[in-house]
Amino acid sequence: MAANYWESTQRRFWQFSKEELANMRERLEDSEQSLVSMFPLPERRHLSIYFNQQINRLGKRLGIRQQALATAQIYVKRFYSKVEIRRTNPYLVITTALYLACKMEECPQHIRLIVTEGRALWPELLALDVSRLGECEFFLISEMNSQLIIHQPYRTLTSLQQDFYLTPDEINLATSVINDHYMTDLPLLYPPHIIALTAILLALVLRPNPVPGSSSGPTANNMAAATAALAQAQARTGGNGQTTPGASEKDKQQEARVSKVHRFANFLAESNVDIEGMVDCTQELISFYECHEQYNDKMTREQINRFVKARGLDKP
Amino acid sequence: MSMTNPPSAASGPGSVSARNQTLKRSVQAAFEDPNDRAGNPGYQSKVRVIDKYKVVGFISSGTYGRVYKALGRQGQPGEFAIKKFKPDKEGEQIQYTGISQSAVREMALCSELKHDNVIRLIEIILEDKCIFMVFEYAEHDLLQIIHHHTQQPRHSIPPSTVKSIMFQLLNGCQYLHNNWVLHRDLKPANIMVTSSGQVKIGDLGLARLFQKPLHSLFSGDKVVVTIWYRAPELLLGSRHYTPAIDMWAVGCIFAELLSLRPIFKGEEAKMDKKTVPFQRNQMQKIVDIMGLPNKDRWPYLTSMPEYNNLATLQPPMLHPGHHHHHHSAHSSKSAASTSHLEKWYYSTISAHSSSSSSSSTPSPSSASGNNNLSALGAEGYKLLAGLLEYDPERRTSAAQALQHPFFATGDRVSNNCFEGLKTAYPQRRVSQDDNDIRTSSLPGTKRSGLPDDSVARPVKRVKEG
Repeated sequence: MAANYWESTQRRFWQFSKEELANMRERLEDSEQSLVSMFPLPERRHLSIYFNQQINRLGKRLGIRQQALATAQIYVKRFYSKVEIRRTNPYLVITTALYLACKMEECPQHIRLIVTEGRALWPELLALDVSRLGECEFFLISEMNSQLIIHQPYRTLTSLQQDFYLTPDEINLATSVINDHYMTDLPLLYPPHIIALTAILLALVLRPNPVPGSSSGPTANNMAAATAALAQAQARTGGNGQTTPGASEKDKQQEARVSKVHRFANFLAESNVDIEGMVDCTQELISFYECHEQYNDKMTREQINRFVKARGLDKP
Repeated sequence: MSMTNPPSAASGPGSVSARNQTLKRSVQAAFEDPNDRAGNPGYQSKVRVIDKYKVVGFISSGTYGRVYKALGRQGQPGEFAIKKFKPDKEGEQIQYTGISQSAVREMALCSELKHDNVIRLIEIILEDKCIFMVFEYAEHDLLQIIHHHTQQPRHSIPPSTVKSIMFQLLNGCQYLHNNWVLHRDLKPANIMVTSSGQVKIGDLGLARLFQKPLHSLFSGDKVVVTIWYRAPELLLGSRHYTPAIDMWAVGCIFAELLSLRPIFKGEEAKMDKKTVPFQRNQMQKIVDIMGLPNKDRWPYLTSMPEYNNLATLQPPMLHPGHHHHHHSAHSSKSAASTSHLEKWYYSTISAHSSSSSSSSTPSPSSASGNNNLSALGAEGYKLLAGLLEYDPERRTSAAQALQHPFFATGDRVSNNCFEGLKTAYPQRRVSQDDNDIRTSSLPGTKRSGLPDDSVARPVKRVKEG
């Protein structure tokens, strides 16, 4: 169903367990052993960071909305769960994914415009023309089995922001956590509402600190607070009665924040939300922000460009 | 070439020549390679249409491409309708040009939707720069069924059939609307009926999601819905439209099932340049029966962009024999907005009684009981009036219509709209003419399966940019 996540193709065909995902990727690499050993690549999340940056660069030139950028990122993720990266020109795949995502998100871009901008961005790496982009579109749609409707966490965030009295700062922070999760495997592992709830939780506990953005990760303390809130919610579902409020804060603002976290934890306890999933999402995000510190843009770019050049994937 | 296909487990795409030998010059030719793929390791489909399906004939064509009837070659049960999207041509060579947004929408939506009253997608094959959407086959459609009843001697559609069709159609609409899908092109030709009497909403080429769009729905496609079925708010230039536009079309279809002709058969004013003209003729046809809309009937009427054009319309003409009762000059304004739908309804269901001719014709007729449309009674009128409500906010929704007493009165509504009929409707005409396929490179040739008067029906819609 188009509007019902539970019956959507996203849930039925594009939500995997970690093990399934690992197996799929292993099979892909096995099928291309010589390529894989000849062209080592950085870890997957670093590739995702790089792809994300490229999509954003292209999107910025064309004034494309975040929702379409996010859909394009999912398309890239789905595609590379079925096709070995080294067999493709990632710049072509990125451009095509964005072109297709814009059509699906009802903000279409003319194909010639996308081609022009793609060429201008990566002149050395992509001999792009309309027919190449069109061909790659067939490839992309075919690998995704024409399952192109994506359920995003943004919608859950929007619909819940009033229930939890989220401030604009908190909404922004939750939004940026959602933006960041596209650089992890989470979109292929968890339903969008679990992602959104995790993002809200992190926004609530991270609030006084600077935005994690994509560079400065949240502190271990804050993450501990998030995990504690989840543990509390988990305990409540187990039937334990009243919970004692957290450490007493003098600051009024701080108190309000704590009560917000409590309200949220109570909501989680009372609804049938997959809290374990949220714990895992939180940990994946912590781990992602740590991994982000190790990201080396130059090295990532060079490793990608090496196989693109060496295999002649940049040629028409 | 950079894009190479992942190793194909399913089929060996290498056997091009062997495959071609099995082909005759027939409709099958439409599925042949448009160009030699040797030496081009670009995108290749893992599945080949002609390996999987045997095309048995051509059904129809439109702006999007052509539809063929097919059978499975690999033991798939049943029959199929394969919609082939026309690839753009640059000179003689067929090129990839990017898939149209409406094709992308239809592919994506059909992949998600699953309901008894919505046509079922089997699979999509992207091959040789063409898109093939494989659907379950439906033997009939409402246009064809209505046409059959206009054949001499003209005889109305049995009331039980009308009721079943309406119920199933509304059921499909409810499903679409619950899923935030607007169909936007409901009309008899797009409502399929299987040989077992199941109604299936087809052709989602104009359909789209309406949940929180990034842009107003208007900005995407300036003109939607075939003119005769276009809701008054669209004719008056409304930018934000709702599922109610589909419900107006359902009301028009209901009326057409009763009278066997479009209830508001206007003439479309052509687009000049990029501005959308006011569809005066179509709006007049609506006013002729429904009366002029006014603020009482439609509070937001005055904020419609084309509101000022309403003043240029004629109030409904009174029939020569019809005396305008005792109303005098003081009520002329309210008379202008008086609806004549009730009168239309009762004269229609009594005029087209089929009971007198049913014994002598070989046409489908009810085996038992009342075969007279007047059996639809007052509830039929109320449902019709609710669907043809001017104010989109007051117009009956699909969910409300399904709860309407119309479906609770009289015989149980069957989910087979042919139940009780003695004879079957003629099958869909399928052309196997060699000539037909060779000349078929001209797009948009007329529908082959349809009778002459249907050719005069307005063409679908204006393509979006």
